[in-house]
Amino acid sequence: MMPAKFVHKKTPKIGVLSSIGKNASALVLGLKYFFEPNRFTLMYPREYIVLDKRYRGFIVLIKNKCIGCESCARVCPTGAMKMVKFEVPNPKNPEKKKIVKYPTINHQRCVYCGFCVDICPTEALYHVPVHDVVYFNLADMIQYVESFQKEPVSPTAAEGAVPVKYIFDPERGLVKVRIKEGEKQ
Amino acid sequence: MIIDMQSSEVPRLNMSSWEIGESRYLPGMEIKKLGKEKFVVYIGPQHPGSGHMRIIIKVDGDVIVEADPDLGYVHRTMEKLSEGRAYIKIIPLVERMAILDACNATLPYVEAVEKLLGLEAPERAKYLRVALCEINRIASHLYGFGIFGVFLGHSTMYMWGFGDREILVELAEKLTGARLTHTYPIFGGVRRDAPQNFTDNLRKAIRYLRKRLEDYRRMFLDNPVIRKRLEGVGIVSKRAATDLGLVGPNLRASGVEYDVRAVEPYEAYDEFDFEIPVFEEGDSLARAWVRVEEIKQSLRILEQVADKLDKTKGQQIMHDRFWAKVPPLYKKVFEAEGRVKLMPLFAILRVPKGRAFARTEAGRGEITYYIESDGKDKPYRVRIVSPSYRNAIMFKYAIPGHRVADLPAIYGSFDYFPPEADR
Repeated sequence: MMPAKFVHKKTPKIGVLSSIGKNASALVLGLKYFFEPNRFTLMYPREYIVLDKRYRGFIVLIKNKCIGCESCARVCPTGAMKMVKFEVPNPKNPEKKKIVKYPTINHQRCVYCGFCVDICPTEALYHVPVHDVVYFNLADMIQYVESFQKEPVSPTAAEGAVPVKYIFDPERGLVKVRIKEGEKQ
Repeated sequence: MIIDMQSSEVPRLNMSSWEIGESRYLPGMEIKKLGKEKFVVYIGPQHPGSGHMRIIIKVDGDVIVEADPDLGYVHRTMEKLSEGRAYIKIIPLVERMAILDACNATLPYVEAVEKLLGLEAPERAKYLRVALCEINRIASHLYGFGIFGVFLGHSTMYMWGFGDREILVELAEKLTGARLTHTYPIFGGVRRDAPQNFTDNLRKAIRYLRKRLEDYRRMFLDNPVIRKRLEGVGIVSKRAATDLGLVGPNLRASGVEYDVRAVEPYEAYDEFDFEIPVFEEGDSLARAWVRVEEIKQSLRILEQVADKLDKTKGQQIMHDRFWAKVPPLYKKVFEAEGRVKLMPLFAILRVPKGRAFARTEAGRGEITYYIESDGKDKPYRVRIVSPSYRNAIMFKYAIPGHRVADLPAIYGSFDYFPPEADR
């Protein structure tokens, strides 16, 4: 137990003479970064970030694992996930139909909090590290069982943009590194 | 000026006919004349700074005689919406209050519900919460600096502040999986364990930011041009700060010793050795300095958190109540991916009847939650008091007496964030 201490400080005072020096110092620093800029801008349509596996991106359904328990639809904070009923032939009684439920996602409402992925008792949902999928109309954003099972592809990656990743560096903060072909993330 | 669209003749602007007081201005752009050389000027609500708010000022010449903050342009009824939602669904809702401070904004809510449920997060979960809180605090201060810089016409500071914030956002993404809306603390623990190389990356980022703060001092804080605009501007006395109930760095810049991390330590803050800087002057420069010193202390906490995280590697990050009886699949997923799977009961979690109150020190000051439960799966009442709302009153008292050109220097120094104030 060591509670935090309050430390009283004063803003440093600078006189007229030292202010000239400080002004020059700021200018020198500006010049230094002018000649040695520390840039890590992502040139987006020409480059794209290969995201971490842990990234909470688009959500995909594995239909075979889904047991239709509705947990995902119940926990969804925005009501983006809804259950849709399907009639399938009943193997035990061919005359009667069996009703099964599968989730549907509405990407207009989804906030990618990942509660549905975490609450699924059979791991039937998972995140794909993709975040830049574009839709041409609003109806496409509601994904029923068929389209919900397909992994979305990043359009920038599909168009042959350069894959990059950012690594931490004690001298430069973040450094943009190009990922070579065949190299694993 | 009414332009006749029918006539082919281009209307000539007769400047002498633009008399003040007549309704010849576009709606919302009127200037009211109060007397000789006295005007009312509306600053905002179209983004005068970091969000939508309006300051109505009365000027005599270019000296402000009265200032009136006009809030509520981004009010999203978060308190009322909370009354109709299950407990877990409120976490992603309230973190939209201050998205660059998401962990600090949701943590007191989670703590208050934990108090009602009668559980406490495990040790490692507490360290992970502190880690994200401090990452958020630095990111929030850097964002504030960026906005402050661009207010003063110092666009270098704007670029640097936002650029260096990216490092912290990247760290948060590696930890939680999302850049801004982390939804990280949850009742009983946190949602994800730190990845393998997280502490290494954290130490690298700390080393870089320490070096970088020296650049900030040279470029911004010690820059005579900036100092001339900030020194002695917008002074808030110790008495005024306590009377008006300011919180956070703005209060500490006026010489008041108050920080929730010190007066009522939450999570694991009592285990870390750090200082809380207090400045005496109470002017805009002191408010800028207190934030820089706070970033330094946050880096110091993060260094200690990194050591603690290395020591507690592999420990559970969810309370036994939600983790002891989970199926084997859940533990397998946790070991493989470090992801805490939630029990299905989270969606319909019933919280025992009672009242709970929790507060934390967010980037901009103390944030308070009061929760009243009537034993159902939805709260009866959620009351949020956010730091920016408590700081907004200062516009009324700090601005008058200064010239219009000083207004950005005062507004920026308060690090006021309208979405947080309006909830």
